[in-house]
Amino acid sequence: MNFSLSPEQEMLRDTARALVREHCPSSLVRAYLDDPSVADPLDERLQEFAELATGSAVDLCLFLEELGAALVPGTFVPTVALFAPFADGDVSRTGTIAVRSPFETPAIEGDRVDLVAVIDGDQVQILERPDGELLEPFDLSRRLYDVRVRPSASNNRVTDAPKDGLERAMVALSAELVGTTRWMFETTLEYTKTREQFDRPIGSFQALQHRLADMSLLYERAWASVYWAAMAIDADDDERHRAVHVAKSSASEAARHIALEAMQMHGGIGFTWDHDLHLYIRRAFASEEILGTTAWHRDRLAELIL
Amino acid sequence: MHLAWGPEEEAFRAELRAFLEANAPPEAVGRGMEPELEEGGIPDWAREWQALLFDEGWLVPSYPPELGGRNATDVQTLVYFEELAEWGIPRALHFPGYAIVSPSLLEFGTEEQKKLVPAAMRGDTVWCIGMSEPGAGSDLASMRTRAVLDGDHFVVNGQKVWTSYSMWSQMCFLYVRTGAPDSKQRGISVLIVDMSTPGIDVRPLRQSTGGTDFAEVFFTDVVVPAENLIGEMNDGWRVTMGSLAHERAGLWVEWIGALDHLFRRLVEQARARGVIDDPTVRRALAAAYEEVAGLRALGYKGFATYEKAGAAPEHALLKLATSELRKKLAQIGVEIDPTPESRRELLGSLSGTIGGGTSEIQRNAIARILGLPKGY
Repeated sequence: MNFSLSPEQEMLRDTARALVREHCPSSLVRAYLDDPSVADPLDERLQEFAELATGSAVDLCLFLEELGAALVPGTFVPTVALFAPFADGDVSRTGTIAVRSPFETPAIEGDRVDLVAVIDGDQVQILERPDGELLEPFDLSRRLYDVRVRPSASNNRVTDAPKDGLERAMVALSAELVGTTRWMFETTLEYTKTREQFDRPIGSFQALQHRLADMSLLYERAWASVYWAAMAIDADDDERHRAVHVAKSSASEAARHIALEAMQMHGGIGFTWDHDLHLYIRRAFASEEILGTTAWHRDRLAELIL
Repeated sequence: MHLAWGPEEEAFRAELRAFLEANAPPEAVGRGMEPELEEGGIPDWAREWQALLFDEGWLVPSYPPELGGRNATDVQTLVYFEELAEWGIPRALHFPGYAIVSPSLLEFGTEEQKKLVPAAMRGDTVWCIGMSEPGAGSDLASMRTRAVLDGDHFVVNGQKVWTSYSMWSQMCFLYVRTGAPDSKQRGISVLIVDMSTPGIDVRPLRQSTGGTDFAEVFFTDVVVPAENLIGEMNDGWRVTMGSLAHERAGLWVEWIGALDHLFRRLVEQARARGVIDDPTVRRALAAAYEEVAGLRALGYKGFATYEKAGAAPEHALLKLATSELRKKLAQIGVEIDPTPESRRELLGSLSGTIGGGTSEIQRNAIARILGLPKGY
């Protein structure tokens, strides 16, 4: 397993990092819920990278990790990461997915994209601007839409879902979640180095240092698991079927643990509306539920290994 | 990033496989890479196996042939560890000779001292490391065993503890205080000590598990020739850092291999006990698999960091994570199979987060890597 990034991959990551730093401030994320059109210029810029939809899973993950670290809203992520595997990689129109089974996941940005792929077990039907209902928002950076399927409608063509479609989507979402977790970890680490109490930085107290060490371990393990899965997908190796479950549940576990610790270590300031931490925690909690909970992934993994 | 190694590495793997198929002793296969010592010392098969690995250039593959290697590259060394882990084969039942003493002598020793290396690596001489003391555990720099230079020899007085293999060792790699009592890291030296020197008293320590792997070693007016000093006087702290730095980039494979081995045994146990369909057991095993697989991936990521930067902070995380995970696996073992044997296994696993730097010391080190200020 070779984790070395090629120069092109490093450049892709740096480009994504620079792009979101400049064009996706947290003020945009905050404004998105009330007026999703604020993300349109960003979506347009990201279009340049639409070919990631059909490229290597590792490249896609590197890119999405950076987007996750900035909570990039809009239609690019659902289109490229979730919808593309079910549309033969055709992302000329925006899209997203709604999963009915083997678990339930509402459509991310389902009211704003052109097409929604409704996945029900091993079948999929692509709906054009389906009816539905916007769900009560918890993650402020993301709109969740409950799609109403009209079985009789003429544009509903039911086909076999590509077998590995959900696997690719799961790894992509995990990479994005790892990026979100990275922001929470790094921001907290920096805060403990600068925030002073009892005349010294709080990061000098072992009570926090040891917990930060554990956070770094969880984060690093999740990161490595996600890219292992991405490499296995790119290699079309059988390992990928197990690796995707490891990736999603490790990413969710790290996100949950680090979210809780991040809040605790920030103290009162982290609990305010004005601090960005809650935006990230909301995204982290919401992503845990999307494309299978940790419990679901572990049960599935158990079927494969036991 | 890609999953597989290249054809050169796979050719290396094939060569090693052929050697193992022809030569691996049945006692070694499936034993796990970090095996427990047997009562009564190092068995003959283990001595012969270590000597054969040395003679055939498979003991430390990155070394040149005269030192038990074959000038292997870093990636080949990693493949070597992968393969040993796959077979569950240990290189030897005692590691200080090839893993700590030899690399340190090669780096810091005199020409005369370097002559001790082949026998140490081959296992012909058994070495112990005299480091921990009753008052110097995690706070190693406070050690008090004193060596006073008197003309052409040192006189050593003091006590070491938890000294593994000391009951069966011919030689000791001994850390001593040569500076002022409060000189901490700046006043420590390393001596080569012949264990048959008068004044050395080895008293085996019985462990909580009932076994005896280590001993207390008492030194009373022990005379050590001055030329047995390794490196400079009071520069011993630097010598501690010399141990197989280039192998460290792959040593984690042994730890993961051991966990893999334990995991597979848990699955067998769950089958044998008829609890493999219990949802709680299944979820616990899946979570354990997830952790082992993730840590393996993290090890490979660290290897990539090492290749690029010459050091890998990831590997500090792995010592902590693998020793903690071993305790978790042992607890699952007790759930699955509540027998005295699995409880003994759990008790035994508790040493892993104490020896070789406690988990707390590991977390301190990780905090330094994260750039956190000195801790309180």
